[in-house]
Amino acid sequence: MRIAITGIGMVSAIGCNSTETLQALRNERSGIGAMRMLQSVHTDLPVGEVPYTDAELKTTLGVDEPMPRTSLLGLMAAREAMEMAGVNPFTFHLSPFTFISGTTVGGMDLTEQHWQDYQQSLATENIHLHEAGESTNAIMRYLSPLTSHLSPFIATPSTACSSALNAIMLGANLLRTGQAKAALVGGAESLSKFHLNGFNTLMILDHQPCRPFDANRNGLNLGEGAGYLLIEPEAEALARGAKILGYINGYANTCDAFHQTASSADGEGAYRAMKGALEMAQLEPEDIDYINAHGTATPNNDLSESAALIRLFGDHMPAVSSTKAFTGHTTSASGGLEAAICVLAMQHGFIPANLHWSQTAEGLIQPMTRTRCQALHHVLCNAFGFGGNESSLVISNEGKDLSEASLVELSSCREIEISEDTEVSAFVNGAEARRMTPQTRRIVAAAKKAMQEAHIDQPDAIVCATQYGCMLQSMRFLQDMIDSEEQQLKPTPFIQSTHNTIASLIAILTGNHGYNATYSQGKDSLACAMTDIRTQMSLGLIRNALVLEFDEEVEVWDKVLQHIGEKTQNIAKATIITL
Amino acid sequence: MEQLIEQLKSQIIDALNFEDMTPADIDTDAPLFGEGLGLDSIDALELIMLMDREYGIKLADPKAGKAIFQSVRTMAEYIQANRTK
Repeated sequence: MRIAITGIGMVSAIGCNSTETLQALRNERSGIGAMRMLQSVHTDLPVGEVPYTDAELKTTLGVDEPMPRTSLLGLMAAREAMEMAGVNPFTFHLSPFTFISGTTVGGMDLTEQHWQDYQQSLATENIHLHEAGESTNAIMRYLSPLTSHLSPFIATPSTACSSALNAIMLGANLLRTGQAKAALVGGAESLSKFHLNGFNTLMILDHQPCRPFDANRNGLNLGEGAGYLLIEPEAEALARGAKILGYINGYANTCDAFHQTASSADGEGAYRAMKGALEMAQLEPEDIDYINAHGTATPNNDLSESAALIRLFGDHMPAVSSTKAFTGHTTSASGGLEAAICVLAMQHGFIPANLHWSQTAEGLIQPMTRTRCQALHHVLCNAFGFGGNESSLVISNEGKDLSEASLVELSSCREIEISEDTEVSAFVNGAEARRMTPQTRRIVAAAKKAMQEAHIDQPDAIVCATQYGCMLQSMRFLQDMIDSEEQQLKPTPFIQSTHNTIASLIAILTGNHGYNATYSQGKDSLACAMTDIRTQMSLGLIRNALVLEFDEEVEVWDKVLQHIGEKTQNIAKATIITL
Repeated sequence: MEQLIEQLKSQIIDALNFEDMTPADIDTDAPLFGEGLGLDSIDALELIMLMDREYGIKLADPKAGKAIFQSVRTMAEYIQANRTK
């Protein structure tokens, strides 16, 4: 099957649609500037903001209910992709509709704004919007009021900054196994005080516009936005006379398995992801015309990514640029936004510039500093996330036949759950455990025991399902941020707050470079994780997987949740899945 | 100085969650990173935050921590010379 891209949609600091984005890229006009929308005390940090308030976005979009900014940005980009593809979920014969949208922030912007109200039982209508999956559902509701009739497949991958590329991969795999006839895939993420302060504790935010791959780069600028691709089998696209903008020809996700925030010096994970994507596309390094690098402009990322690029491409280094000096780092949205930018570049025959670069240094690749007109046949797009979650995508102007498969049946080994502290400490030692919450220790122990019982010490995939993610550390960071008015925050709770913390931690502890992902789709999270695993096993991409179910009971959040009759619960289960 | 060193050891244990450790377990002159306590880059950020919170010392460049955090003693010496509270 050839996977055609028939629509793209994008929103970021450089434009609210493809036309505006194209203009900004061609004119080398960056969207990074002073903070105007986000209500943070750190106004000295430049950001890449979409220049409209929530109220303005709601008016434009016709939204008249509380909605996270992530969903508003997502809805805008999603509508553009659907319109460009000439489809909508009412008339679309390609049902059931599939919408996969990566995010990590989800509704955190509303939670941090209304935190004091929640304590006083006010603004309770916003509480359910906190969940990452709910911000995706909100987009879907406004894409089609008929959502309940369409029973669409909706999934929210949450692997931090690689989330949107992982969404694209799942969408492509669903097409190849006949589970979807079309998929809207990508990601959305708004700025929040939570992750701005979080990245600030890591001391990786530049006080000037960011300079990817420059010798004097000094960190990233956060951005916000959304980017989606509408993908469908080429045959379907041709049959309905749709214009094909490009093809998804290869992709891979791996884990660097090195550290929770730092990338390895040799870029092992990034190398494996890019190599895997090229192999699926049956391309050689010299076939690639352009690489849209992850290129955050942190000292560590750019050096590690350069090492991986040099290792894979050697003397055949194609043109490379990071477009983050235009948009800022749009975190979970970045893979979707930058994949959409790659399609634009291919369609209009140009390579976007890597702005603000002036000087090279040992070990760094030298990016394209000016926009260049060039016909593009094959481009590679990278997105890397916390915990070394590395994804790479090949987009081409000619389709490659990717294998298809019908769904296979899976077998499950015994589900492992450990409650005794003594048994937990048999699997998790003191040094490893010092940054883990009690519930994190239980899931790590359960995972190790599950692997031991199944005699599989390196599963091909580690996939986690969680409703709220690592809520204890999230709430610690949120509470401290509000109490301290954004001053003197500890980095560890932020680092541990991302949804993919558990899956990446287990990969790091066991040296696992395989597929690594987390789904945060409310009570359907496990179903999403199992769909991903079953789909990849059917396609022969993996032979087995470790599936994790994780949630933690958090008193301070339960006090908020009681307003909507919900409650958190402790869940830490691990199961090995095989064919 | 000795008092500051003891206090600093307790603060390090607390900030870095070394649950089963006491100040006596930390060698004042042993390396904090690599060998010794085996700290990593996240710990370095925690130590920078500790110096800010407890002693009013602000480090703008994380790389500056490398020389300061060689051992508990070098850290105490730096704090002694630069503390604002």
